[in-house]
Amino acid sequence: MYSLSWLILLLPLTGFLSLSWFGKRFPKLLGGWFACAMVGGAFLVTLLMLAQLYSESPADRLNHVQTLYPWIVSEGFSLNLSILIDPLSVFMLLIVTGVGFLIHVYSIGYMHHDKEFNRFFAYMNLFIFAMSVLVLAADFFFLIVGWALVGLASYLLIGFWTEKKSAVLAARKAFVMNVIGDVGMLIAAFMIFEHFGSLNYVDVFKAAPTAFFPNDDSILLITFLLLVGAFAKSAQIPLHTWLPDAMEGPTPVSALIHAATMVTAGVYLVARCNALFTMAPFTMYLIASVGVITAIVAGSIGMVQYDIKRVIAYSTMSQIGFMFLAVGVGVYSVGMFHLMTHAFFKALLFLGAGSVIHGMADEQDIRKMGGLRYAMPITFITFLIASLALAGFPLTAGFFSKEEIVMNAYHGQYGNFVFWGLAVIAVGMTGFYTFRLFFYTFMGKSRTPEAKPHESPLVMTAPLMILAGLSLLGGFLGPWVHSFLSPVFGGAVPMHHDDAMLEIIAVAAAMGGIIAAVAIYMTGKDQLAFAKQMLAPIYEALYNKYYIDEIYDFLIVKPVKAIGKFMEERAEKLGIDFSVDEVGRQVREVSRGISIWQSGKVRIYALNMVAGMVTILLFVIFM
Amino acid sequence: MGSEFVLFISAAIFSIGSVGFVIRKNPLVMFMSVELMLNAVNFLLIGYSSFLNSLDGQIFALIIMTVAAAEVVVGLAIILTIFRTRHELDVDRINTLKG
Repeated sequence: MYSLSWLILLLPLTGFLSLSWFGKRFPKLLGGWFACAMVGGAFLVTLLMLAQLYSESPADRLNHVQTLYPWIVSEGFSLNLSILIDPLSVFMLLIVTGVGFLIHVYSIGYMHHDKEFNRFFAYMNLFIFAMSVLVLAADFFFLIVGWALVGLASYLLIGFWTEKKSAVLAARKAFVMNVIGDVGMLIAAFMIFEHFGSLNYVDVFKAAPTAFFPNDDSILLITFLLLVGAFAKSAQIPLHTWLPDAMEGPTPVSALIHAATMVTAGVYLVARCNALFTMAPFTMYLIASVGVITAIVAGSIGMVQYDIKRVIAYSTMSQIGFMFLAVGVGVYSVGMFHLMTHAFFKALLFLGAGSVIHGMADEQDIRKMGGLRYAMPITFITFLIASLALAGFPLTAGFFSKEEIVMNAYHGQYGNFVFWGLAVIAVGMTGFYTFRLFFYTFMGKSRTPEAKPHESPLVMTAPLMILAGLSLLGGFLGPWVHSFLSPVFGGAVPMHHDDAMLEIIAVAAAMGGIIAAVAIYMTGKDQLAFAKQMLAPIYEALYNKYYIDEIYDFLIVKPVKAIGKFMEERAEKLGIDFSVDEVGRQVREVSRGISIWQSGKVRIYALNMVAGMVTILLFVIFM
Repeated sequence: MGSEFVLFISAAIFSIGSVGFVIRKNPLVMFMSVELMLNAVNFLLIGYSSFLNSLDGQIFALIIMTVAAAEVVVGLAIILTIFRTRHELDVDRINTLKG
């Protein structure tokens, strides 16, 4: 049965190739449903893999490597195109193809009016293919291939509306930022090959515990370089600035790539390479610190933005920060659990936002919305469920996963009081920005009376309802996730910490955030103006996203541009161009002198030839 | 009749041909001079082929005659075309092909 795993790669690839080659000949809706069928098929095959894993005992579920094709075979180095089936990859694939399928279906409704409908679905299938390569790779080489391919798919989809300049610029920014990460990954792979003589996960992870002492220089460097890739892909500080801009793409793209799947690849990478990261406790602290700092920074920025998608984008960064915090303190499966619940409720939030944008005729500013609860009841209820889950309201999906993270931030292997405190603050922020967004959008009165919001068609609301169900109930999958994934993490199951004190504080923080949002945004305008005035300097800094874009602009973009300008105006014009031109000019001058001999008179030419011949003859005879 | 005789005759014909090519202005006459030079070489080849008891030279001569015939076909066609367009045949005035 494992031998069927290549279908997971083949189906989306088929969808991509046939839609991109023959997309113009497909009838419009058929192309969309065809793409959905491909992803749905991949999901079914993944379910088959899951069933197959369950037919074995937990210890035997690891390292099922399917070699499809020996690609490079040489002395001391071989590279196979191979697929790794184990609980972690199947778990990720369930999310990628499952949530991916729902978002594909939703896109049929959302992109209905777009004239390049089939190109969109071709790219979407390309993304599913790329993400499957990333997840199924059995060695670091194909991991990097998948890593770069998802970057490509992300680039193509962010810049899908090529006539929109901001979208094209955002796509370029995302691509450049991601390439920084790719370079880190590549160097890490070189170093891994240098130390282990192999790129296979199985070989490397088996050898890792004995190859290094903990906190060796080389393992620190390897893990750090892997992290550069993980942080760039997962939009963690300081490589985060591309994610909010990536919201220029169509909303289903934001839901699929920039919330549910691709941006969590960094967390997957850390979980996948846990054997390496365990050997580098120092890096683990780094991961947890960056994660928790990103959670706070992104959460605080999200509290004051007005673009509905940007708020959710910052929220995504913040939640991925939580995931990094979890894997950083050593509870990998908790991080993966939050990855799953986050995929549910964040995809739901984005799709709900897409439904709102769709219904409001492409309006994204929440200040112009309001009162949508009557016009869009299904979107309203599902969005409310997603907001509750995101804020960590008890018994929703986000509650379970986030509580476990906060608890482990203190009790986990590398946890401490500082991580816990910062995580609690971030939880509070989550509650606040989520419900600020919710109140702005759905409650109160409409702020643009001329808008005629309408509920979206069933093809869009059905995925919303399914995801809402998952967001409500997904939290109860926690114990299953931990036991299913434990073989991958060396048999470790995160301990349940009964610490009522910490739990109450964390829940209180989440509730406090929600209540603060209610107090400011539901009771009247006065409190809002008052709060803004009180916190004006902070508000300004937050509204401008801590000026990080401006700092990068000043530190990197401006100097590079200045160097480029110097090169263009001085080095090229006066150096390279001048010398090349001068060579040409000199050759022309010399040629002009010689060309006098070429008079066009045949008899002179003949005379010259005869004279030359005679000269040679005389030379030969008499010398 | 020694081989010097063949050499002298051949050299004489070749010189007549080359001088004729340089001093005459009519392309037809220049063509005939070229033929003279080619035939001087043919004469030499055939003469020595008989001295050396080898057929190689005669075969060469045949090949040269073939090439010369082909060349004349092309050359005459060019001369004819030039005459038709310019209505004159003075090589000194056909000098536009220069740098």
